[in-house]
Amino acid sequence: MRAKFANTLHGERAVALVVFALLAFLPGVIGGYPIYILPQYLLFGALAMSLGLLWGWVGIVSFGQAAFFAIGAYGMGLVMQAGLGGWGGYLGIVCGVLAGASLAAIAGYFLFTAGVKSTYFVLVTLALSIIVEQLAVSQSGITGGYNGLFVDRMALALGPLGNIPLTGDVASYYAVLVVVPILYFGLKALTQSSFGKILVGIRENEDRMTALGYNVSLYKSAAFMLSGALAGIAGALYATHAGFVSPSLAGVTFSTEVVVWVAIGGRLSLLGALAGGVIVSALSNYLSSISPQYWQLALGFIFILVIMFSRDGIAGAFAAMANGISRWSRKERQLSEPYRKDSRG
Amino acid sequence: MQTAISVGIDATLITFSLALAAFGLAIIYGLVGVINLGHGAMLTLGAYLTWYAVESGAPFFVAVLFAAVGVGLIGLVFEHLVIRHFYHRPFDTLLLTWGFFLISTELIKIIFGTSFRSVPSPFPSAIQTPFYDVPAYKAFVAGITVVLLLATALVLLKTPIGIKIRALIQNREMASLLGLNIAATYKLVFGFGCFMAGLAGGLLAPMLSIDPYIGNDFLIRSFFVVIVGGIGQILGGTLLGSFFIGGSETILAVVSSQVVAQVAVFFIAILILRFRPQGIFGEK
Repeated sequence: MRAKFANTLHGERAVALVVFALLAFLPGVIGGYPIYILPQYLLFGALAMSLGLLWGWVGIVSFGQAAFFAIGAYGMGLVMQAGLGGWGGYLGIVCGVLAGASLAAIAGYFLFTAGVKSTYFVLVTLALSIIVEQLAVSQSGITGGYNGLFVDRMALALGPLGNIPLTGDVASYYAVLVVVPILYFGLKALTQSSFGKILVGIRENEDRMTALGYNVSLYKSAAFMLSGALAGIAGALYATHAGFVSPSLAGVTFSTEVVVWVAIGGRLSLLGALAGGVIVSALSNYLSSISPQYWQLALGFIFILVIMFSRDGIAGAFAAMANGISRWSRKERQLSEPYRKDSRG
Repeated sequence: MQTAISVGIDATLITFSLALAAFGLAIIYGLVGVINLGHGAMLTLGAYLTWYAVESGAPFFVAVLFAAVGVGLIGLVFEHLVIRHFYHRPFDTLLLTWGFFLISTELIKIIFGTSFRSVPSPFPSAIQTPFYDVPAYKAFVAGITVVLLLATALVLLKTPIGIKIRALIQNREMASLLGLNIAATYKLVFGFGCFMAGLAGGLLAPMLSIDPYIGNDFLIRSFFVVIVGGIGQILGGTLLGSFFIGGSETILAVVSSQVVAQVAVFFIAILILRFRPQGIFGEK
């Protein structure tokens, strides 16, 4: 039944396109704080996609995505401090991506070649984020320790055409709104390529894929590396946008928040993960000013309920609805099975 | 010489307190196969319940017992409502117990607040030795840990209920065919593991300044204790793993900083997990 679910989500790209287009018009309608803060939520959404790729397509969960995010953020921060002028921002992004990707590649290859169980993978990645946080705190000569690192907004260097500084909120809003859709559509294309199909094969039956001659651990490591790179670029852009990096970006709390976003948004859909990241982090920020603890408590309950009853989160619910409507309109009700009756397990 | 002895004593005491902290986790993981990511929160909860009872005027040991029973009961309710439906899907139980962590951490913050709490030590003095003053309470906790481990070993190896539990681990279907009540046994083991976590939280409370996150620190180390020691090796494995994790952390902290020591031990634990996932001395 997973295939049917995936079919329904073919409309996902259209939905995403509409949402991104609407977001592009937003600065014309409102200004001020929402335009300042929305790019950060979008970058959290990109971070959520980095986990969504792993969880949905490889069937493994990392509790350490924040580690890659933080490494990307520190990479950007340190490069920006080096004072390289207009090109510093690009270099920061490259450094962030490389740092996230290489850490994930090393950790992934190291663990997957030994066939480490998915449960142990969770523990190791959790430890990874603790290690990164501890190092960020203790190496205060480089990272600023608890006080963190202040980061300037980057500029878009256009070579002979000069530099466009992204210090204005609207300018950096559009910069992020270009990057995040590219990441989304790129990732989406990747999941539908043969690479994505091999990953799904591994998720469904690892032994069979091994028997078919695929180097399973290499594919898993590649997916994890990609996920680390994505988290790294999100972190790098977050650093230059928020203007501040601190060790808590790598912390256990933040790491596991990402898991909650993706679980709620929907682990079998990249758009679901993206939306989960944006909506839940936005709500968290908004409700934290009203009632932080009760909101976190509610999130905990929602998380448990989603894991217990709805593997596909919000995206799954939407897909089921879309499925239901199309089925009803085609009057195929007597021919089709109940939606996803057997997909649990 | 003096440093060596004091480091040795420190390492021993830390080994036992870590073994105590990890014991509930080792029971639940080793016997019913659930990776309890709520374990850290259960330790925290045990510490807070102990603090609450002591504040209300209960003697320390009554308070610890109250905390252990309280956490055990909470664990039983959680098992009954959620976990028992998912024993056949271990990865989901991991996520669900993480949900337990999220919920109980927030509840602790709402009920007890976020400021530091402390429980006065019942034995504040130190045992004088020619080289080094051993903190009396830590030594006492080490003793309790040994007693608890031995008592659990006795129950598992010598009593009818222990035999039933071991039968269940060896062959679930066969045990069920022979009329063993699997659901009840799983519940019992899970509840006992939670009880132990609460007890550990209570006993460790006087050594810590209590805040809602103290369990986080213990969670990962407890897991490494269990993995390094070998899963299912509940008694010897727990002690061995604790000795490895706690001991090497103490010794490394002497030659470098606390942070570097912890990071180094995590790395070593990951290496062990990679190359010997059955534990250092476990058999394949």
